[in-house]
Amino acid sequence: MGFLTVLKKMRQKEKEMRILLLGLDNAGKTTILKRFNGEPIDQISPTLGFNIKTLEHRGYTLNLWDVGGQKSLRSYWRNYFESTDGLVWVVDAADRMRLDACKDELNILLEEERLAGATLLVLANKQDLPGALSAQEIKDILELDKITTHHWSVVGVSAVTGDKLLNAIDWLIGDIAKRIFTLD
Amino acid sequence: MSVVQKQINVSDEIDNVCEDLELKLKNTITPDDVLKLAKITDGFLCSNTNEYQIEFTRFKIRDLETDTVLFDISKDPNVSENNDTTDDNKQETTEDSGRFVRYLFSSSFLKLKHVGATVEFQVGSKDVKNFRMIERHFFKDRVLKTFDFNFGYCIPNSRNTCEHIYEFPKLPQDLIDQMIANPFETRSDSFYFVDNKLVLHNKADYSYNG
Repeated sequence: MGFLTVLKKMRQKEKEMRILLLGLDNAGKTTILKRFNGEPIDQISPTLGFNIKTLEHRGYTLNLWDVGGQKSLRSYWRNYFESTDGLVWVVDAADRMRLDACKDELNILLEEERLAGATLLVLANKQDLPGALSAQEIKDILELDKITTHHWSVVGVSAVTGDKLLNAIDWLIGDIAKRIFTLD
Repeated sequence: MSVVQKQINVSDEIDNVCEDLELKLKNTITPDDVLKLAKITDGFLCSNTNEYQIEFTRFKIRDLETDTVLFDISKDPNVSENNDTTDDNKQETTEDSGRFVRYLFSSSFLKLKHVGATVEFQVGSKDVKNFRMIERHFFKDRVLKTFDFNFGYCIPNSRNTCEHIYEFPKLPQDLIDQMIANPFETRSDSFYFVDNKLVLHNKADYSYNG
């Protein structure tokens, strides 16, 4: 294998991004994943493991990992942290009862060393539901302004209508690209 | 000249057969071993059972240009068969229970541009570390495509899906014509590794004249 081949291989590898979607159960992680990939979202059951999508988007190979959010599965999340470039934290903005649990779980992740280099995108999902809290309200409740360790952003989205979802993911990819691929 | 040429071919053939046999006799087959293979294997390189009880339960192919499910087979009785599957894209299963699939496509399949291929699998009560898939597609002895993907960790008793969305390789017209004219000469080997040790081997073949 010649030097140029090696170089080319490294560059191909560099163009890969690993993005992890986490959040409490029923937050809408799988629906977001499917909506982003243009799949029907009418038959989605709880994820009892992971769903992966690999795709090309804006010249990058995205590896999107959606791991089930049920309480019994959360202790397994750490197995998916390695090499993560972007963390998407999906919040059910209409589930006011569980926002404390949501905040606690997010804070545990933010202290995780293996996620230290990851950009954080918080999606305040289910904006189509009456009573859903706005992105601003979710930001305040989760105290996102206190985060100094990660690049972060919060966006109100609806996985059902697809509203603002693409823009939010594009922000995430752009931020990762700026941090990692500055030489390009 | 032609005689010499012939001899070389014969000796290549013997080398290939020996390579297969050597692999079958090896206790541990690694990703490097299968990435070196220049053609489809003669048989399965491991048994049909694995200690991790990894079982494939669904294969699905969709065309993103037209938003159509071309193909969807599921082993699980709880998941309904997809009715969108068009009539000319049928599949057969054989007695090799689940690890060999024969795909019958129409020639238009080879004109697809943007496809998503999904596999769904479940694992048993043991967790699976460092799970990797290498899939190689051949037409006769020509490599068409190699997938190499690391799933990493699988949760005990989990059900997982993975969809690769990719640009269908642009094939030259003469190759397309040959693939249509030679059903089931297009074949694939799917190798699955846990901790760099082969644990599962699936095969498929394809026809495009349906």
